[in-house]
Amino acid sequence: MSTDVRGASHSTPLLAKAVPTAVLLVGAFYCLVPVAWVLVASTKSRSQLFTTFTLAPGTGLADNLRNLFAYGDGQYGKWALNSLLYAGVGAVLSMIVSTMSGYALAKYRFRGSNVVFFAILGGVLLPGITLAIPQYLLMSKIGIAGSAWSVLLPSIISPFGIYLSRVYAMSAVPTETMEAARLDGASERRIFSAIATPMMVPGMVTVFMLQFVGIWNNFLLPFIMLSDQDRYPITVGLYTLLSKGSGEPALYSLAIIGSALSIIPLVLLLLFLQRFWRMDLISGGLKG
Amino acid sequence: MRSKAIAAVGVAAVGALALAACTGGGSSGGASSGGATAAGPITLNYWAWGTAQDGMVAAWNKSHPDIQVKRTDAGGGTDSSTKLLTATRAGNAPDTALVEFQTVPAMIVANVATDITKYVGDAKGSFTNSVWSLVTFNSAIYGVPQDVGPMAFIYNKDRLDKLGVSLPTTWAEFATAAKKVHAADPSTYLSTFNTSEFGFFAGMAQEAGAKWWSVDGTTWTVQIDGPESIAVANYWQDLLDSGAIKAEDLLTPQWNQELNNGKILSWPSALWAPGVIYGVAPKMAGQWAMAPLPQWTPGNSAVAYQGGSAVVVTTSSKHPKEAAAFAAWINSSQEGAGVQLSTGQYPASKLGQESATKSAPPLLMPQQTDYWQLGSKIAANTIPSISWGPDVNVASSAFQDAMAKAVANRTPLRDALTEVQKVVVADMKKTGFTVAN
Amino acid sequence: MTTTNPHPPMRRRRRGTAAPYVFLTPAVVLYVCFLLIPILYSIFLSFRGLRLVSGGAFGHRQETFIGLGNYATALTDPEFLAGFRRLAIYGIIAVPLTLGLALLFALLLDLGAARAKRFSRTAIFIPYAVPGVVASLMWGFMYLPVTSPFSYITEKLGWGTIPFLENPEIFSSVANIAIWSGVGFNMIILYTSLRGIPTDILDSALMDGANEWQIAARIKIPLVAPALVLTGLFALIGTLQVYGEPTTLRPMTNAITQTWVPLMTIYRDAFIRDNLSLAAASSVVLALGTLVVSVVLLRLTQKRAFGED
Repeated sequence: MSTDVRGASHSTPLLAKAVPTAVLLVGAFYCLVPVAWVLVASTKSRSQLFTTFTLAPGTGLADNLRNLFAYGDGQYGKWALNSLLYAGVGAVLSMIVSTMSGYALAKYRFRGSNVVFFAILGGVLLPGITLAIPQYLLMSKIGIAGSAWSVLLPSIISPFGIYLSRVYAMSAVPTETMEAARLDGASERRIFSAIATPMMVPGMVTVFMLQFVGIWNNFLLPFIMLSDQDRYPITVGLYTLLSKGSGEPALYSLAIIGSALSIIPLVLLLLFLQRFWRMDLISGGLKG
Repeated sequence: MRSKAIAAVGVAAVGALALAACTGGGSSGGASSGGATAAGPITLNYWAWGTAQDGMVAAWNKSHPDIQVKRTDAGGGTDSSTKLLTATRAGNAPDTALVEFQTVPAMIVANVATDITKYVGDAKGSFTNSVWSLVTFNSAIYGVPQDVGPMAFIYNKDRLDKLGVSLPTTWAEFATAAKKVHAADPSTYLSTFNTSEFGFFAGMAQEAGAKWWSVDGTTWTVQIDGPESIAVANYWQDLLDSGAIKAEDLLTPQWNQELNNGKILSWPSALWAPGVIYGVAPKMAGQWAMAPLPQWTPGNSAVAYQGGSAVVVTTSSKHPKEAAAFAAWINSSQEGAGVQLSTGQYPASKLGQESATKSAPPLLMPQQTDYWQLGSKIAANTIPSISWGPDVNVASSAFQDAMAKAVANRTPLRDALTEVQKVVVADMKKTGFTVAN
Repeated sequence: MTTTNPHPPMRRRRRGTAAPYVFLTPAVVLYVCFLLIPILYSIFLSFRGLRLVSGGAFGHRQETFIGLGNYATALTDPEFLAGFRRLAIYGIIAVPLTLGLALLFALLLDLGAARAKRFSRTAIFIPYAVPGVVASLMWGFMYLPVTSPFSYITEKLGWGTIPFLENPEIFSSVANIAIWSGVGFNMIILYTSLRGIPTDILDSALMDGANEWQIAARIKIPLVAPALVLTGLFALIGTLQVYGEPTTLRPMTNAITQTWVPLMTIYRDAFIRDNLSLAAASSVVLALGTLVVSVVLLRLTQKRAFGED
């Protein structure tokens, strides 16, 4: 895909190379500075945190790590596993549901398809807080409030994921292939599973990634649903370290090292999935 | 192949859901109490924060094998009480919970805390009258006090001595001392004024004689902007205007660093404060000391409480009798008091306070060997009855907002108090209470 | 698109009738349970309120019908409305900067001449992986005078500390966190959209003598306009629903009150003041406002052909 327009480099003057590169590097620096700060700060011990120069590494890394994992009988480890559970299972289930729904909305003409689609899209407009309490009351009625399901179930329905899947299904799954399969006697279910799904893999990976990150980073829903601190995901756990209430100081060093550690898995995941996802899906549906 | 996988996941999900629903979700914050079958022990759920809790619960469980308690940490005072409100609405509340004294009336009105007078009548003797009054409303008992925070003055003795400033015993002396400190070193302040410390301001107002809420029969009187409280507001106004005190939030990284560097020299608060300071400034051990809180009138010695909490039994509990017995035991037994002292809580019980006098001083001030003796003297001399209203949470959030705005916009603090008064009265009237003013 | 096997459409429709419904069932069930019913319940709640029923000084409160009372309270509450004003200031800073920077970086990445593209792209995208609470914590420390590297530099230069956390700089400080978090994600969306522009268009423009600036302005930007509108829409919705950043910063500064933005007021009413009905009414007001803004935005940009939307 490289052409003269985008690949040309040999004949362009130095300034034309330097300026854009410099701007990009400034942007990269801006985005990395807080991350660098938190990594450095996590090496400081509790007393060094407020008394030494902010960018100088300290000597407390091993202590901080030990304190972090010892806190609350290993609560941090539990929080990490919880985040993994909620985000992993939630993203997988969401990917499946979104793919099925997107596929159905894209490749079939049936009554109510537009209504369903716009209704689902409208879900994006609702503020999380409005939904959280009624969801909590509903969960309590069923009896699962406070368990992992109360956090998983509301996370599975993703209007944005359905939108993406629909866009992708429209462009990636040719109707002719479906027709041909039908003529060969394949059932709709088989067409979906054996033909459509493999074609939609990049889109599915994108939806998975978006949901994983979204659920991992979610704060409000688990905060309201869960009362047992052992079931908190990392986001809510870190918040409780900071807001211990009057009479107990915030555990800043723990919060800092906890934050530093929590960034690592997501960054690795994103780097790994980079080559698979298809972000042009997001704008793809809008091209005239 | 893939659709089979999808179907399998779907079936598993529905199955798990059904299973979870049947077994009550297996959530520890879920419906209170495991069943009290003839064979097994009763299990109670207890929501509480703080390092003392696990030890107290373990001591109870050891000595009461037929009533086992499971403790959950549902967050600090504010978080935990808001969760209690929502959980009660959903029928999910625990049997017992730790609740700050000032929040107890709100819990009664929200139908979260239940009347336990008939269960804990004989626990009354374990507490002083003024402590017991903190859980008594309309002659009914709604909880058992766990820890109290008699107000005291925690200060950086070393620095104060070096600056040649003597310990203030009245608020007037405090003001002079503050100005002297700041004049001697412009980057140092005797203390900071914190707009979110509702409890502290209320304590100072109570010490001056204010009664923010009082009830006569069924009529409430709200006097948050009464003359004594206005005087307190004006007092801090003067100090802020003169620059001798600055407005800053407590226990933020900024504040912690200034404390560590000897730029903030005191924290008027309560007996539990040394543990907190030690947590953010362990290197300062030995430099700080505790003294009685400055008074408005020379010669007075009664102080109010700041903080402290009680264990309430919830209306959702299916075993109120056992739950009340648990609450009474952990808060008035020898074992319970022992745990409280070893973790830095100041016990509400007379027994606990006596034992305290035999303990070592807090880690922050190992040199003050008479800490607990002085502490128990202070605790024995508290304002006789402190009354909180049914919407303290509204007052607290209105106070924090109004004060923060006043400080940011440099408008008078007393106007902020009047604003709080207006909001609180309006809220009570709207809910349907009879308010005298 | 020509079909190789023409056959009557009737047969296709009849065979496919059940399948789409089956595929859609999980989504619809979840949607009804976790989106539709909760929002309807919220609307129901908004018409009710807690009033004292049994007498006495410590009587109990119960829920009863009170009509439009909550809406009246919400719409006349000066704090709630002030929250919207603050939201406007915050939005005016955050949205254009997020999109502007995202567009700028995307265009630069698309330039053949730029270097270190892989590294920059990844680095700028990393903030997307950071949860809001963590981002606010990190930036909070970067703003606090005692731990801020920026203030450290300005102090050494003799200029004093930078008042990140005071009025009115607090607006930019909070907006900065949102910008930092959002630029990468939006940049990738715009960048992939740019990569989708057919190269013949760009080639012919070059041959006509256009330089990179003109190509960017006249060709690239108009062609990614749909993506810009979409990211703009999400940025706007995100702005109206901002909650995490101010809440996490609140303990560190006096400039952020408990009701700084509408969602914080709603949270305070729902949880701290135990007034679920008022919170429900305020949320409905907020949701309607979001809807109106979104519709207006989409209408205004209708000229960019959207296809089936």
